[in-house]
Amino acid sequence: MKKITRFRSLLFSAAFASCAVVFASCDKASDGPTGEYARNGVLISNEGAFTKSNASVSFYSHDSRSVENEAFKKVNNPLVLGDVLQHLSVHGDRAFLVMNNSGKVTVANANTLKAEGEITGLNAPRYFTALNEDKGYVTEWLDYDPVTYAYGNGRVAVIDLKTLTVSRTITVGVQPEQLVISGGKLFVANSGGSTVSVINTATDAVETSVTVNEGPNSLALDRNNVLWVSSRGKKVYNPADWSVSEENSTPGTLTKINPGNNSVSSVLTFSRNAPSPSKLTVNDSRDKLYYVYNNRVYEQQVNSNSLATKPLIDRGTYVPYGFNGLGIDPGSGMIYAGKAPNFTSNGWVVRYNNQSGAAVDSFQVGIAPNGFVFR
Amino acid sequence: MAGITPAALAQQDTAVYQLKTVEVFGKPAEVFAAGSRVSSLDSSFLKTYASGSLADVLQARTPIFLKTYGASGIATPTFRGTSATHTAVLWNGLNISSPALGQSDFSTLPVTSLGEVAVQHGAAGATYGSGAIGGAILLHSPTLNEPGFGAELQQELSSFGRYFSSAGARYGGQKISVGLSGYRLAAENDFPYRDYGSFGAPTRRQEQARVEQHGFTQDVTWQLTEKTRLALHGWYTYADREVQSALGAASTNAQQLDKNLRLMADLGHDSRWGQTSVKAAWFSDYLRFTDNSNHSVTDINTFQLQTEQTYSYASRWSLRGGVNLQHFAADVQGYGRKVTEDRAAAFLLFRFDPARRLDLSLNLRQAFVKGYNPIPAPTLGANWLMLEQGDHRLYLKGNISGSYRVPTLNERFWRPGGNPDIKPEQGWSFEGGLRHVYSQGTILIETEASLYRMLVDNWVQWMPLESGYWSPRNLQKVRSQGIEMSSRASQKLGEFDLAATAGYTYTASEQVKAYEGPEELHQQLAHVPLHKAQLGTDVAFRSWTLLGNITYNGLRYTNNSNTSSLPAYTLLSLALNKKFGVGPYQLIASLRTDNATNTDYHVLENMPMPPRSFAASLRFIIL
Repeated sequence: MKKITRFRSLLFSAAFASCAVVFASCDKASDGPTGEYARNGVLISNEGAFTKSNASVSFYSHDSRSVENEAFKKVNNPLVLGDVLQHLSVHGDRAFLVMNNSGKVTVANANTLKAEGEITGLNAPRYFTALNEDKGYVTEWLDYDPVTYAYGNGRVAVIDLKTLTVSRTITVGVQPEQLVISGGKLFVANSGGSTVSVINTATDAVETSVTVNEGPNSLALDRNNVLWVSSRGKKVYNPADWSVSEENSTPGTLTKINPGNNSVSSVLTFSRNAPSPSKLTVNDSRDKLYYVYNNRVYEQQVNSNSLATKPLIDRGTYVPYGFNGLGIDPGSGMIYAGKAPNFTSNGWVVRYNNQSGAAVDSFQVGIAPNGFVFR
Repeated sequence: MAGITPAALAQQDTAVYQLKTVEVFGKPAEVFAAGSRVSSLDSSFLKTYASGSLADVLQARTPIFLKTYGASGIATPTFRGTSATHTAVLWNGLNISSPALGQSDFSTLPVTSLGEVAVQHGAAGATYGSGAIGGAILLHSPTLNEPGFGAELQQELSSFGRYFSSAGARYGGQKISVGLSGYRLAAENDFPYRDYGSFGAPTRRQEQARVEQHGFTQDVTWQLTEKTRLALHGWYTYADREVQSALGAASTNAQQLDKNLRLMADLGHDSRWGQTSVKAAWFSDYLRFTDNSNHSVTDINTFQLQTEQTYSYASRWSLRGGVNLQHFAADVQGYGRKVTEDRAAAFLLFRFDPARRLDLSLNLRQAFVKGYNPIPAPTLGANWLMLEQGDHRLYLKGNISGSYRVPTLNERFWRPGGNPDIKPEQGWSFEGGLRHVYSQGTILIETEASLYRMLVDNWVQWMPLESGYWSPRNLQKVRSQGIEMSSRASQKLGEFDLAATAGYTYTASEQVKAYEGPEELHQQLAHVPLHKAQLGTDVAFRSWTLLGNITYNGLRYTNNSNTSSLPAYTLLSLALNKKFGVGPYQLIASLRTDNATNTDYHVLENMPMPPRSFAASLRFIIL
């Protein structure tokens, strides 16, 4: 049975491997809210091991330069956060913790991490974003067919943020991942297909879908209001060693979409076939993007129409999940990477200089850190 | 075969047994294990807990820590700090671990089907083959010693909707002895628990832990000639279970169905060349796991042939040579094709008693697997009666033992991820200890303490790859060292028969070398308790018997960084039996409580376990 759970977890981990972090809904605390976790620091989401319900939240304080692990547990003991913290998003004074394999979003006070409620009845929720104080959206995968392992279309749940209930669901493409709101539209990357769904946030109806390269897995909105999409490309595995075949795969891309008219303005195609780009992350001034490719971190000027030839961060032969999460500190511009050596022992946050790409320091967090919210 | 046997009777059984096999230096499991630690579970204890699983009795009475996945889930052993694949399970001398997983699920092995349970502590690769790194569990079919007809019926009711029934009959004749037994267990396991995985932590009833098990055993011994006998053993177990999900994890309606049929023919012949034994077996292991998004079937047929020749020269030495052949035919969805594999092993076991006070063992085994030949596994052991004074005997014992584990079929053929280049694991174990025996009149006290150190190299671990798949790799070198202490005492005081067993185990198991990745070194492995202790008592007075058992499991880390852990817990169980004579028959009524102190405990993180439970049982015995 153990192997079977592993089998499941590897299917899921294939998905984890291609997720990224955006801070679309991450507001900086402006009026100086009070609370243990409102101060100058970073909230870190640690997804934990699949089926073990050992997800956790860490907090790194810039003032004391120290990390506090199991922050949610400390505040809410004996409450268990849940299974696979896929995405941590802060909107206003509330933190939304998307618990993938708990089928729910836990809602907590963003400043104290005290649990305030939960949005239940979700199926494998992936990412959350809020339109305003009243309405939010969660992407959901539906179960795959147990025989063919093929996923059908997923959906976006519309959340009433006052009652913390699902008010309706919108069918989108296969395996919807990240979502971004721009100009009254919600863009959803359907990672199991090759489209980005466009939903009108006034009517919550699907307006259209934009065709991109296969496997769109992360989204970022730059300062020019251009929506960047990273796509994996078609990946074929070598059955001998379970690596990705260079010969039979197609290259990944970064696609630029004009959110105003839902059109693709340009496509930047990678030269190699096997590696995939993921985890598009934008800096505070939104003039630079960072992404993970070939287990390295690359920088992309938003006004450039060519891909960087050299990585910014290159650790050479590195653990496969050395960049399990990516975040850019708005204050210092420093790059935070969540490093998961495995899913049985604690992960690390490694901080990199955004100019030289050199590792600056690191600290230990929970199992498999995958996202950052800078306070 | 006397139902609830008070301690004294149990010892009598043992005495009879020992007499019968005295020509081969004591109990079979101990013959070639000089200097090693072999213990067997009390038959009275096994009788009282007949409705339970092997996991329950090993957890209560041995240093083995059982990882039980909730009330209904699988239970796998951690023996001397090793993982579940490092404990070999043998049934009548042949390994029955699943070839796909390389481990046994102890929650599906019912105590009621077993005659004797012995535990080999520590590595014994030479004697028991692949997987005997932390130790081996030696299961034996019920023995059919007594002449005439006998039968037994049992019905048990317990808390949380648990019903257990069993029936058995046996006949012992001049030429043929036959034994038959069957059992059925149905449990709702709808115990209450606080759901800390939900906001507000509501109290709920467990709804995903239903269990239905049944099975039968059949044993026939046929004395073909004066010197030749044929034994046929059949054992079928069926377990259909809902799999509990962790607190906070969405229920996926996971369900597991296990069907295991084990058939064995054992031909024994005595000649002037010694004893010849030929065992042929067919095992069919079927496992189906389903949930909302999985449907996985593992169906494996195993054919085994083991022949051995044992020659004993008086009580001086005994030599056993043999060959074991295994053929696996696996029909496993995850392999994407049918897989067959042949394995062979040759072994030579030598026991030599050069002097009355010294026993020596020298064993060697070489396994052969296409492309995976493990290095030879030897054992060298000695047992020396150091002091003999009055009623005291003090033994010094020790052994050096090699062990190995051939990769499982899943590790090599599972798609995606299976690694055809994975190497066998290999272990070395060093052990030394003292054994003290005191006997005077009706008092018998046996105490044993061992120190061991073990190194397991090329320890296999599944790790995530860059492609997102998980694959088994030879990642670690693990060192496990510890202390095992146990004491067993019994005394007859007037009409009272008193017996007590106590044990304490300290296990430090840590990774000392990582071949890939920045693994944490020198931290206690997850889910290996540093401390485990147990105390069992058995008091018989006339027709009454009272059994008590306390098990302490120390803190276990839940990750390899040793930053989060599960607290230690102590469980108390009590059982009271009363024997009534009903004409020529016997009726044994028994009341039992498990987790008597209503401890809220977790064996694995976020897996609620049942609170206090009660059981009432009636057993009717026709002698």
